[in-house]
Formats: sequence, C-alpha cells, structure tokens
Amino acid sequence: MVNNKGKLVLGATLAVSLVATACSSGGGKGGKEGETVTITHYTIDSPDRTFVEKLIPDFEAKHPNIKIKVTKAPYEQFDSKLQSAIAAKNAPDVTSHWGYGGFMEYYNKGMLADLTPYLDGFSGSDYNIPEDVMNIYKVDGKTYGIPLNSYVTVMLYNKDLFDKAGLEYPPTDYEDKSWTFDKMVEYAKKMTVDSTNLAEAQYGVDFGFGERDQRPQYFNGNVYSEDTWTNGGKPSEINLTKPEVIEAYKKVYGLIWDQKVSPTPAFSKSVSGQFGDPFLSGKIAMSVVGSWSLAASSDFNFKVGVAAVPQGPNEKVRSVLYVDPLFVLKDSKHPKEALEWIKYLITTEVQEKSIELSGGNPPVNQQAAEKYYNNFEGIDPKQIQQVFDGAYKYGYESYNHLISNYSQINELFINELASVENGDQKVEDALPVIEKKLKELLARVNK
Amino acid sequence: MSQLALSKEQQPVKRKKAKVELISIVGFLILLIVTVAMIMPLGFMLSTSLKTTKEMLVFPPSFIPKHFAWENFRELFVNEEIKFGRQYMNSLIVAITTVIGTVFSSSFVAFGFARYKARGSQFLFVLVLSTLMLPYPAIMIPQFLLFTKLGLHDSLLPLILPSFFASAYMIFLLKQFFTTIPNELYDAGRIDGCREVRLYWSLTLPLSGPVIATVAIFSFIWSWNDLLAPVLYLDSQENFTLPIGMAAMLSSKFRIAPWNLMMAASLLSVLPIIALFAIAQRRFVQGIVLTGIK
Repeated sequence: MVNNKGKLVLGATLAVSLVATACSSGGGKGGKEGETVTITHYTIDSPDRTFVEKLIPDFEAKHPNIKIKVTKAPYEQFDSKLQSAIAAKNAPDVTSHWGYGGFMEYYNKGMLADLTPYLDGFSGSDYNIPEDVMNIYKVDGKTYGIPLNSYVTVMLYNKDLFDKAGLEYPPTDYEDKSWTFDKMVEYAKKMTVDSTNLAEAQYGVDFGFGERDQRPQYFNGNVYSEDTWTNGGKPSEINLTKPEVIEAYKKVYGLIWDQKVSPTPAFSKSVSGQFGDPFLSGKIAMSVVGSWSLAASSDFNFKVGVAAVPQGPNEKVRSVLYVDPLFVLKDSKHPKEALEWIKYLITTEVQEKSIELSGGNPPVNQQAAEKYYNNFEGIDPKQIQQVFDGAYKYGYESYNHLISNYSQINELFINELASVENGDQKVEDALPVIEKKLKELLARVNK
Repeated sequence: MSQLALSKEQQPVKRKKAKVELISIVGFLILLIVTVAMIMPLGFMLSTSLKTTKEMLVFPPSFIPKHFAWENFRELFVNEEIKFGRQYMNSLIVAITTVIGTVFSSSFVAFGFARYKARGSQFLFVLVLSTLMLPYPAIMIPQFLLFTKLGLHDSLLPLILPSFFASAYMIFLLKQFFTTIPNELYDAGRIDGCREVRLYWSLTLPLSGPVIATVAIFSFIWSWNDLLAPVLYLDSQENFTLPIGMAAMLSSKFRIAPWNLMMAASLLSVLPIIALFAIAQRRFVQGIVLTGIK
C-alpha cells in the first residue's frame, strides 16, 4: 500500500511535469495587445482590506482588457500563504506587507518588481501624494511601492475622565509648545487610581509610540546607526547601551513603575484580552496610539477626543508614520496592468469611496483626506486635520517598513523587554543583554 | 427480645452504610465543583455571544447580558462577508470524508501489519512510523507544489485526498488493537471459507468498535480544527472552511475584534464535536470486546 502510493505519486508527478514542460513553451510574456489578462490582488481577510472587491466592477468597466481576482488569508497565515504561492510559481501580482514582514524584508528577498520603467509620466502630485511620502518606498531612486493609506500616531483621550478630573482637554495644534511630555505626566497623575482592585483602577496614560525599538527616538535616542536608513535597512551599529537610549527607556517604563501612571501589562491583559487595547475599556485617560484606533471610535462607551502627541525632548520627531504601500511582485507576468489597478486605487474618487467602504482607512491622497477628517462622529474635523498635519510635519516612518528582517528583531524586543514591562528587571540590566542578542541576530540574518 | 438481637446485628451494617453515603456525598460535591469549573468557560462563551459590541467592552464584564443580542447568531448567517453557513458545510464535507478515508485506509494497512509477517515487514512498519517525525511545515511546500501541479489548487480535494493514503499515527493505534484479536477466530473464519479481505471486512472491523471510534473522533477533530492547509490551498470564498472564517474575524488590526460574533461562531462550531462524542461514547464505554473465546 505504502509502496504503491509512492509509485502512484511518482507516476503522476512525472506525467504532470512532462505536460508542464510541453506547455511552457507556449504562453509568452505579457500576452498580445487586446487579450484580457487577470491580475491577482492578495490581501488580508478582513473587511477593511477586502472591500476592494466592491471596486472591481467599476475598474473592469473602465479597463475591459484587465480582470481582477482577489485572494485573501487571515492575518496570522498571510506570510505562509504568500511564500507557498511564490514557491509554487503561483504568486499574486499585487500585494503589500500586510503580514509580519516589512518592505525591506520583501526587497532584500528579491520579491519586489522595480516599477520605475512603467512609471513614465507618473508623479505623486497627480494623485495628491506628497513627494516625501512617495520617497519612502524608493531605494536608490527606484520605486518599489506606491503608497495607498497613511496612518499616523495620535493621542486619543477619554473626555469623560478629563471632565471628572476637571482638567482642560489637550491641544490639537503641534505648534502649541506648552503641551509637553512632562505636562502629560502631570495630567496623568491626576487621573490615575493605582489600585489592585480592577474595578476601581484607572490609569492616566498608555504611551504606545511606535514599536519598542523606535520609542527612544521620541526622547532623542536612536537605537540604530544612521546608515540603516540608506543601506537597505541593515544597521552597522546598535546603540542600546548609550546613555541617552538607556535614559529614554527609563522614561518609557518609568511611566509604569516610577510614576505609576501607566497600566502594567497584566492590567492591560485583564481588561482587554491578549491583543486588545485597554483604552477601549474606558480605564485609560490618554492613549498615544496609531490612528487606526480611531476607526472604531463610534463603538466606544465614552466620549473620545483626539489631540497632538505632546512635545518630547526630540524637536523633530513627535509621531510615527505608517504608510501602507502596494507592491507588484517580481514574478508578475503583467506588471503594467497591475500598475493600472494600483493607479486606479489611488485616484481621488476611489480613495474617497474607499473611506466609506473600508470603514475608515485614511487615504494617502491628500484631497481625499479632507473627506476622511469628516468621517468621525463627535470629533471636530478641523481638530483631526490639525493633528494629522502636525503628525506629517513631525513624523518619522515606522521602523518596521525600513529595517530588514524586522519581524525577528521586533520579536526579540518584545520577548526581552517583557521582564522590564512586568517590573521584574531594571532597564539598565536588560539593555546590554538585548544588545548582545540583537548583534548576534543581525550577524546571522544580514550576512 | 429477638428484635433487640436483630438490631444489634444490624448496627455495624448501618455504620458501614453511613460511611458509604458520606463518601458518595463528598465525591459528588467534588465532581460538582469540577463540573462547574469546566462549564464556566462555555457559560462565558454563551454570555459573550449574546452581548452587543458596546456591552462587550464594559469592564468589569457582566455574566448576564443586559440585553440578549440574539441577532449575533442571525448576523453570522446573513452577513455577506462572513458566509458562515457555506463555511460550515465545507468543513463538514471535508471532515466527514476525511473520517471515512482515514478509517478505511488506515485500518486496511494496519490489518496487513497486524496479521501478516513477511521479511522486512518490521522495517516497513518502522518506516511508516518514522513519518510521524515530519511536522507539517516540513512537507507543506512540496505537497503544495504537488497538488498545484495536479491542478487541484483552490478545491477541497487537497484537504481530503491525503486521508485516503492512511496516517501513520492511526495505523499504529489500529495495529496495536488488531494484534489482540485471537488467531483462533481467523482460523475459524478460514475454515468457513473466508477470503483474506473478508476476514478484514466481516471479522476485524466489527470487533474493533472502540478503536475505530477513537480513530474517527481523532481524525474528525484534526480535520475540523485544521487551519494552515485550508489557508494555503483555498482561494475562493466559496471554498473556505470554518477555521479560516473564524481566523478572519480577528484579522483586522484596525477594528475592535467582534468577540461576540466569534463566540457565537465558536459555540455553533463545537456542536458537531459534542454530537460525535455523544454518539461514540457508548462504543468507548463498552470497552472490552467479547471475542467469543472461552
């Protein structure tokens, strides 16, 4: 039986491979003019991503020679499915780094097509995309990705807790320099009830500025050497033991353990589950967080406001930008048509439609963004616009898009800093260990 | 007088009875506590599945929802984006066919290993068992290539077909059981003029109720819970199975996870497992097979 199975499979594979080689001489590249081609758009299986299916009829009516097929996978399995498809020569044409990996990872694995040859006469300004946003996905002047959505870091605050404490709401204007980190801590102290009784406990601030390795940037500490941003995301130096970086982490985790104005991980988990946001439970007064949390604001049990991230020690960087691009994969047989689809998705009209269809994705197209600011019940559009404008002005692109092998690096930070977050270890003891492990990891993956 | 004597004799018996009663009451209480502890999470699932999104986020959570949101269950079936009914059907089709495939192919192979000794059969058996050491991710890509080349990509077949080629774990389980069936039975069968296949079909299988039930339950649960393989092979929404749908519910990083719908879906998805256990329970309890040898 077992033997037979082997023979059967072997026979079938042989037969198929013979057929496959016989066919592969046909179907050349690109197809002839006037033939219809099918473009596969691979995405995460959640309503805020799969809404593109609703745009297909309109697109196909305008481009009769292109058919669009959407394939999808749950978030956790996104990378596995993509890698298997590429291995089986069955790769999608259009996708993004929606899984754990980031842009640099895709670029260094040679998965991305260089779009420059097809971009004659294309300029970001035709789609109201700022030039510096277009530049995020360029390497050596070649374009590998076209921006689609842009999220920023904002401060959300719980108006009810502010009212109860009799405090003024924080400002939305980034130029208002009186709104500082220290003032935020002072406010937070007034709204903190540090209690072991979960029902009574509430905390002043949850400081989720970027990923853990990017947080020191806010305090003028840079974990990675400057050359990381220009050499394909491979740091030559790690500065985890530099005094300013140690200071920065002390400030971040001091919010939990010295000032006691931020929730412990244990508290956050018990009020919001493993990956939930404790802010939603109404027990956090201020939350520095990615603007995607705004999309759910109509479901909150309290009145929510949006404000500027306070002025920290770093004059230049006060916000992390998360610009999501679309890529064309290297194996795509029809990059030109794939690009047509991408261009369609960033037109003002479609970007405006997409806000509604996706339930609040922020357009990268600045003209469509006007409409986005009007999308939130109970929050003044002018305020949102001010917060976004300031965030763009003082923003820095998220490390996860810029650093190679980011998912492994991030996992290391999460695991190693857990003991500090739980209060079992001091920052100055943990950082040298992370530095050593990170150097080993980088030596291994960036050979 | 005689009555007195009688009661004296009865006394120790009474004390014994009281002791037995006390033990059974204590035992019952312990069982009760454990049962409640086991049922609590299920109760919480039900409670969450009947909450509105707003109430779901309230902390501390209430056990009894203020307003019973039965519409969550309706939502699962009418929501175009979820297609719960379709996914349920697909999962059932895959799981039931997998059970049939696994039971027949594995028991046939195990019968061979258990009843016939040939040169190298021991080695073959070890070879089969050694396939247990290969985790799925190790064969994931090659197997994916194979099925894609066969043109079976985006259909339920790649999830079903492997089960018709027996599974090492099940072969082992069944072989261990088959070797305990006495040879005399087979001899009797042969004298009555059974062919070898008939011995497998009319003798071995009917005598192996409990182990077949075990194999059926295991293979059903594995197939029912499998997520990675369906995600790799299935592209069209029509073919999606339950685990894909449920994982997708929690896929958005930008929205509040719909835990209430998730719990409603989970409750409905454990039903087949519970039903299967209820049916197979009797088989399990029978335990000892009457082999008809005195």
